Amino acid sequence: MNILRFTAGDPAVKITRVAPGHWHALDDDRVTGRGEATTRPDGRIFLGVDAWHRSVFDRLARAMLADLPEPLHTVVDETDHELVDCWLRAGMTIRRREWEYVVPTDPRVTGQAVPPPGVTIVPAEDGPLRELDRVVRAEVEESVGWSEMPAEVLVRPVGDKWSNYTVAAEDGEYAGLVRVAQLTRLPRIGLVAVRAARQRRGIGRALLTHALAVLHEAGIAAASAEVSETNVAATALFESIGARRTTSTVEMVRHGR
Amino acid sequence: MAGKGGIEVEGTVIECLRDARFTVELPNGHHVLAHISGKIRKNYIRILPYDRVLVELSPYDLNRARILFRYRN
Repeated sequence: MNILRFTAGDPAVKITRVAPGHWHALDDDRVTGRGEATTRPDGRIFLGVDAWHRSVFDRLARAMLADLPEPLHTVVDETDHELVDCWLRAGMTIRRREWEYVVPTDPRVTGQAVPPPGVTIVPAEDGPLRELDRVVRAEVEESVGWSEMPAEVLVRPVGDKWSNYTVAAEDGEYAGLVRVAQLTRLPRIGLVAVRAARQRRGIGRALLTHALAVLHEAGIAAASAEVSETNVAATALFESIGARRTTSTVEMVRHGR
Repeated sequence: MAGKGGIEVEGTVIECLRDARFTVELPNGHHVLAHISGKIRKNYIRILPYDRVLVELSPYDLNRARILFRYRN
């Protein structure tokens, strides 16, 4: 966050809601701060504020919090201490943390996990993939809930043009999937999911190491992934294949009054 | 009521610093210290060295900026 410390007083600004979900801080006719509220597919509202001054941030946040129904959320890079402090001052508290990992792709580092007997790793076909996605999403919702999953999992529907899917097939149906989003030079492991009844057999590890090996063959040395710190199984999986924590993102919330 | 925003200019990320900050080189060779915008943060868009980005310069300090957009390289 960019906050300058003023020695001669804070700027006098006017906070205006310029459109649904959008606020401006105006110093005369110059925009010196912006606020935005967006609703995620699970219905939760996430806030973002960009301001050059701490006092402008506070005023924008206050206006947004007054206008919107709680609970309200935001995400912050945990190393951005000033921004974390700003949101704490606005009444938010840290709800959960996601570790960000850099994941090597070299099979000599990750190991080449073999799928369990009867399971094969194959390219995904659209129809069965959508059915697997539906099943996995229902299972997640019944267990930890989507609010505990990284946002990227929510916002990428099956079949989006930026993602590559690989699946594990067993007994004529898909047992698990790995999604790799290749938006940039650092591909992202968007999702590793195995149906509840097929877990704890090494299918997830086989899917992940297979997807990483494909990236390695394409000359890509590393990928990225976000893992919730409470997801012990996923944390263990990524760290066992040589993934390295780089930073963390915290999700903050202000609960209803 | 819409007002004027800051000066927007394209640049190249040359260094990822601590505290979620980046050094961005502008076309004139000037380096600015940039943070990411709330929209980029909310969408988990990762910024890496050599990424081409659109930044908004601070009207109060031209050595500071905010990354508004990352171009697909």
